[in-house]
Amino acid sequence: MSITLRLAWRNLWRHPRRTWLTMGAMVFSNVLLVFMITLQIGMYGLMIENTLKVLTGHMQVQAKGYKDDMKMRQVVPDIRALSAKLRDALGLETVSARASAFALASSEERSFGIQVLGVEPRYEPLVSSLPGLVKAGRFLADIDAAEIVVGSVLARNLRIRVGDEITLLGSGRDGSFAAAIATVAGIFESGVTELDRSIAQVPLVFFQDVFFMDGAGHQIVLTATDLALVGAQQAAVAELLPDGDGLTVYDWDALQPGLRQAIQADISSAFFMYAILVILVAFSVLNTQLMSVLERTREFGIVMALGVSPGRLGRLVMLETGLMGLLGLLAGASLGALFTYYFTVNGFSYPGMDEMAKAFNLPAEFYPRVTLLTLTLGPLAVFVFALLSAVYPALRLHWLHPVEAMRAA
Amino acid sequence: MRQSLLILALVALPMTSAAGATEAKEIVRAAINHWRGLSSYSEMTMTIHRPDWERSMSMRAWTEGDDRSLVRITAPARDRGNGTLMDGNRMWTFSPKVNRVIKVPSSMMNQSWMGSDFSNKDVSRADDIIDQYEHTLISEKESDGHIVYEIESVPLEDAAVVWGKEMLTIRDDFVVLEHRFYDQDGLLVKALKSLDIGEMGGRVIAARQRMAKVETEDEWTEIRVDTVEYDIELADNLFTLSNLRNPRN
Repeated sequence: MSITLRLAWRNLWRHPRRTWLTMGAMVFSNVLLVFMITLQIGMYGLMIENTLKVLTGHMQVQAKGYKDDMKMRQVVPDIRALSAKLRDALGLETVSARASAFALASSEERSFGIQVLGVEPRYEPLVSSLPGLVKAGRFLADIDAAEIVVGSVLARNLRIRVGDEITLLGSGRDGSFAAAIATVAGIFESGVTELDRSIAQVPLVFFQDVFFMDGAGHQIVLTATDLALVGAQQAAVAELLPDGDGLTVYDWDALQPGLRQAIQADISSAFFMYAILVILVAFSVLNTQLMSVLERTREFGIVMALGVSPGRLGRLVMLETGLMGLLGLLAGASLGALFTYYFTVNGFSYPGMDEMAKAFNLPAEFYPRVTLLTLTLGPLAVFVFALLSAVYPALRLHWLHPVEAMRAA
Repeated sequence: MRQSLLILALVALPMTSAAGATEAKEIVRAAINHWRGLSSYSEMTMTIHRPDWERSMSMRAWTEGDDRSLVRITAPARDRGNGTLMDGNRMWTFSPKVNRVIKVPSSMMNQSWMGSDFSNKDVSRADDIIDQYEHTLISEKESDGHIVYEIESVPLEDAAVVWGKEMLTIRDDFVVLEHRFYDQDGLLVKALKSLDIGEMGGRVIAARQRMAKVETEDEWTEIRVDTVEYDIELADNLFTLSNLRNPRN
């Protein structure tokens, strides 16, 4: 161990209480940062997954422009064959074809405008959470049955139950009248009023017959094995699309631009809070180090007179701060990890969160996401800023004159 | 002297504008009466045009008074038998495929009628414009031996209308040359133009009209009147739900 390092270590414990207090501030802010960052990242993951798994999926194959115009004629031709081809080629079961139309849904006494989705009963549950939310009856079974699954609010508005009939009235792909009667097979309840009020699902082939789709559909929804793999699988899907049909594959960010924006807005506001916390800690370190340098003016004068260079003294001060910061980093990160670990097992929630969770389609409890990055990002920032704040006290030593310094009180 | 002139001007000013409003309203009313008659029967062809496709439908229509009309599709075969009945603000539609009469909810009134550029509201309540709007005569011009009136119609505050204002161009023989729809910000959204004007059923009317949104000029819907008869005797039960379901004529 070099002599400077040994000196630094000893200097640190000349005033143990002061060192402990400064380190305490670091540890406290580190624990807080670790907890908040892991929780935040965990929440974003949930937000993305939960929003996407309702209907959007991770990717969608669509005709170019359908995303924005949603016109009945912007179709994916022969959609079931293409969807089967993608399933085989990617070795992925989570691929499901859909068609979509606006229609008037009527019971005996009432009518409402809704969005009707034609889905593949076998694959839809793999890409969407709606089939799993069927509270009464069952989800669709046969791909060509005259059945319909509606949201709970729509069912209440139409005053229908499982087994009743709904009349659908709309325009077909060629603009002609589309009309059909379907039996209610199930009623889903997602908790999101907008969905429960305005969405109904029918089997894809039945949809294609009613709306004269001629085998076409509008979207192929894909869920990647992991959100992180979306980019690679999107490229693979794009390779598999037939040329000349004007088809394209969009990732979730293109399909739901609001989601990333919400997350970015949240990150920036959180970042502001974190910056304040880190800067406060840095000032507390600056205060401590400046004081410790000033009170040693005489001592530094003597060692300089004995031939120690100001540069070496500066390194000494930096090393003291570095050691203190390192201790704070280790203690903070490990305490933070322990603290956070408790919540990764038990989940975290606070009063009043239920409402917000409902609005964003989140569960009532969050689980922080512990990775090396989320664990060390905050403490590292604190460490760097502590070092930066020691630069000024260390630089001051260069302007020190040994004789004057020795005379100082 | 100057003072009395001023007073005269103050008194006269509102009077002239009130007279203008009545006159404008009379012109609009006359134009609608001219188009509908006391009753009418017509055969029409509606063409929906889009950049990549086009589609035509033939239909028969009956109207009576200001409120009641019945439209029935005769071709193409796939759509034959579909019908729409309108009585005031209420609208029903019948489809032989499901053999049911369905009332169109008011929330759907701004949706497209039969996939065309006309909304349900355009079709059902053409005469709302008389009572629910305030009309101002903007200009009178001479053109092709006719006087052409330009009338601005602004919906009254409590009118259930999505438009900010409408502009009507009406000829002195009460043929509507153009009907423009503006949004709440005063921007032109869509326009109904009369392309052919000719004598039919004993009246000079717009024989071919085209509705197009301003933003998408290559998407339009044309209605061509093939034959029309005015002021005829219509059966009492024509405008009933049971007739909509089981046509007797």
